[in-house]
Amino acid sequence: MKITLNGKEMEADGDKSLLDICRENGINVPTLCYHASLFPEARCRVCLVEMDGKLVTSCSTKPREGASIITNNEHVMKARKLNMELMLPEPACKREDDMEVCGIYEEVGMRTARFASIKEYKPDLGAAVIRDNNKCINCGRCVRVCADIQGVYAIDFASRAHNEHVTPYFEKNLADVACIRCGQCILNCPVGAISERSHIDEVVAALDDKEKHVVVQVAPSIRAALGELFGMPAGTLVTGKTVAALRKCGFDKVFDVDLGADITIMEEASELLNRISNGGKLPMITTCCPGWILMMEFFYHDLISNMSTCRSPHEMLGMLIKTYYAKKAGIDPKKIVVVSIMPCTAKKFESTRPELETGVDYVLTTRELGRLVKMRKVDFASLPDEEFDPALGISTGAGVIFGATGGVMEAALRTAHFLATGKELEKLEVNEIRGMKGIKEGKMMLGGKEVRFACAHGGANARRLMEQKDKYHFIEIMACPGGCIGGGGQPIYRDPEVLRKRTEAIYSADRASKLRRSHENPVVKQIYKEMLGAPLSEKAEELLHTHYVKRDRF
Amino acid sequence: MNACAEGQGWKRSGNMQILRQTNMEALEKARTLGPDGVLELLEKKGLEGRGGAAFSTARKWRASRDAPADERFVVCNADEGEPGTFKDKFIIRHNAETVVEGLLIAAYVVGAKRCFIYLCGEYDYLRPRLQQQADDMLARTKMEDVTIEIVRGAGAYVCGEATALLQSIQGFRGTPMQKPPHPTSCGLWGKPTVINNVETLTCAAQAVLFDDWNPALRLFSLSGNIKNPGVYEFPLGVKMSTVIDVAQPKKKLKAMSFGCFGGIMPVDENMAITPEAICVEKCHHGAYSIIFMDETVNVVDISYSIAKFYTYESCGKCTPCREGTIRILNLLKKILNGKGVKKDLQVLAELALHIQETALCGLGQTCGNHVLTSLQHFPADYDHYLKKGAKS
Repeated sequence: MKITLNGKEMEADGDKSLLDICRENGINVPTLCYHASLFPEARCRVCLVEMDGKLVTSCSTKPREGASIITNNEHVMKARKLNMELMLPEPACKREDDMEVCGIYEEVGMRTARFASIKEYKPDLGAAVIRDNNKCINCGRCVRVCADIQGVYAIDFASRAHNEHVTPYFEKNLADVACIRCGQCILNCPVGAISERSHIDEVVAALDDKEKHVVVQVAPSIRAALGELFGMPAGTLVTGKTVAALRKCGFDKVFDVDLGADITIMEEASELLNRISNGGKLPMITTCCPGWILMMEFFYHDLISNMSTCRSPHEMLGMLIKTYYAKKAGIDPKKIVVVSIMPCTAKKFESTRPELETGVDYVLTTRELGRLVKMRKVDFASLPDEEFDPALGISTGAGVIFGATGGVMEAALRTAHFLATGKELEKLEVNEIRGMKGIKEGKMMLGGKEVRFACAHGGANARRLMEQKDKYHFIEIMACPGGCIGGGGQPIYRDPEVLRKRTEAIYSADRASKLRRSHENPVVKQIYKEMLGAPLSEKAEELLHTHYVKRDRF
Repeated sequence: MNACAEGQGWKRSGNMQILRQTNMEALEKARTLGPDGVLELLEKKGLEGRGGAAFSTARKWRASRDAPADERFVVCNADEGEPGTFKDKFIIRHNAETVVEGLLIAAYVVGAKRCFIYLCGEYDYLRPRLQQQADDMLARTKMEDVTIEIVRGAGAYVCGEATALLQSIQGFRGTPMQKPPHPTSCGLWGKPTVINNVETLTCAAQAVLFDDWNPALRLFSLSGNIKNPGVYEFPLGVKMSTVIDVAQPKKKLKAMSFGCFGGIMPVDENMAITPEAICVEKCHHGAYSIIFMDETVNVVDISYSIAKFYTYESCGKCTPCREGTIRILNLLKKILNGKGVKKDLQVLAELALHIQETALCGLGQTCGNHVLTSLQHFPADYDHYLKKGAKS
């Protein structure tokens, strides 16, 4: 149909929203409550444009034949600005890595506040995720992401009018409800009202403590995202710079969680083959993702026996640091502080689980690491590349791809095939479980048996997959969209394209690796030889495996 | 004059059109006419929605019937929450059978099996009797597969808005949704849904049955500083002076308001009450409820009460209404406390206009009317408080 956009006549697709039409034509319209993959709620009323003289929300309005649309006259700008003024009386950008609302202040030209804030809420302080409703602007993105993308429904709006506020059910704290701590709400909060519980202070104190030997381990997905916090384009691999920055921050040893991932694969692939050949409970479901573990414990606890008993990679490596490494280096394990750099807020919760307390001491998210590096005034971009400390720093491409959805399964299949047949896979890439499709499936012959496998990412997809779980032998679940590269602790992003670029960076790191199968890793072989014996041995069970509990939702 | 009252000092006379009972005959006749016949008849008689929007009932039913779906629903909107409006309660109390019959005719025409009556939370005391009447009516019809469920609202004014009402029936938060899609194509559980006001459904049954049914008659809820508050029936075009005669003001009248959202207007005795005449720009007639105010009243006090109502009843979904209503209330409070300055009036008007222009639903779009109209018509009342503050 024909429309006029800012005075220019053009053809437009009548099924598209005005917002999409504007953006396709290079006209920016600020948005707050809009989320590309969710139905527009049109709450915030910031994306206003004028259609035939009337103000409409561009996110939820389709053009009329012959309509005249104006995006930037005084009428529009004034209305947008007043809505911003009403929503957020104090134009303060309190979270450095959150530029979203600051950008909108700029766009609407708001400098001062006319109205006083009317909010008086108590902050909700959890072990992983904290909320401050006083900063909240009720855009509702967290609510919709929690429900529609994550399928968790931990938070919703309560009360009416100016008392309307986001809250976990029954006005409880997040820590007391069926919240899986995935942190997707944090990624979607434009004002920083929800954030991770920071452990920077604790880590800084440990670094300053001369008595302590502070060891840091870096998750696979960090290297594909950390650069974004320092102005680098999405998908830049910054493995070497990350290691260098961590040394500058004062960590004594920098290890690679990829090694933990390789060990996880040894254990998990063996467990899978064991279950298949000995009639164990199938499908076996991966347990690398602490968000998914919580989701299972809250909503699917009848599946506890389907879960692999493997700890997550950083918990495995954490235990090995305090046992294997401590012994080798001759350091008292009590003096070792293990810090994990994770893309994840649920890992913060995981490290407080009583059965896992001895391994990892503190978890910092990617964003927190960025903040720590900035606090130390390290010029990240100009750092030289450095290598991980070799004691526990050699890893394979199989460990790296843990960062992307389908990666754990792909890595496990590479090793399971070798363990089952004694032969390497001809083609390492398992393409059917790569990519951003919500649920992906495939099959493979392992030791004369056809093994069907599937993986899902995002809680809602996980729920969908659980409904048809019995079709498969092996299932991987990642609670966050895209897997760890889209984790709740990662740099805030708006463009879904960012996830694709981070994934690509992960796979390119795998391609560039000399070793691409976990069982080829010399450090893994050494650890099994010197300490663990074989996968699933008694010692391995003690240090590398865990158990789960049923959790009540109410 | 065709006035009739439910109220103090007035006896109910039997000649109100809205009280005419159809005794299942309307449904019988609808069945003989067939769905198309009913739609044609209603179109010919010019039945319009009585909830305030005055949308053609036949068009609404037809849109819903023609929307592709395997299931359809019909809802009677009995969530009468507008301050000063009490005509639906009057109908339910005195002619509930005809309401139910209108509902069944609607269900027959669009092909719905499940009907709902969404009853205002404050009218819960009417529910047992209404349920009984609905059950009796259903037993008398031969529509065995049709059910009528009465859903009790939880007291939210905004649930009178069609989309919020549907959300509430489905068990969600009662918040309005962006239209389109309209309920006629995508309502309850995503299925085509007809929502009609109590008065509309009653009139539908009567219009089907009675040849002499007069489409011009409307129910008026009169209240305020008058001796005879109550529900009256007047034809459209009635002179305001006639209405005032019936209402019997206690003192000289100063202002009146059509419901809460109609804005506070000066009384014009010569005005003929038609949708066109009272629906002057930004002022809504709603459901013909008139609150009269006499000269003892300061309009700013009234405006403050109305602002309090909206600050309580806004659903909180969209920014301008959620945040704007409380700011308007705070400014009015400041003015009433004698702390107001001239500039506050500007901000008040700016906020009111802004909410009107950018809010999502009808509640938000009208909740600034009382401010805009009182500022326009009664500046002296504001000056009174501003001066009071300046003196002290």
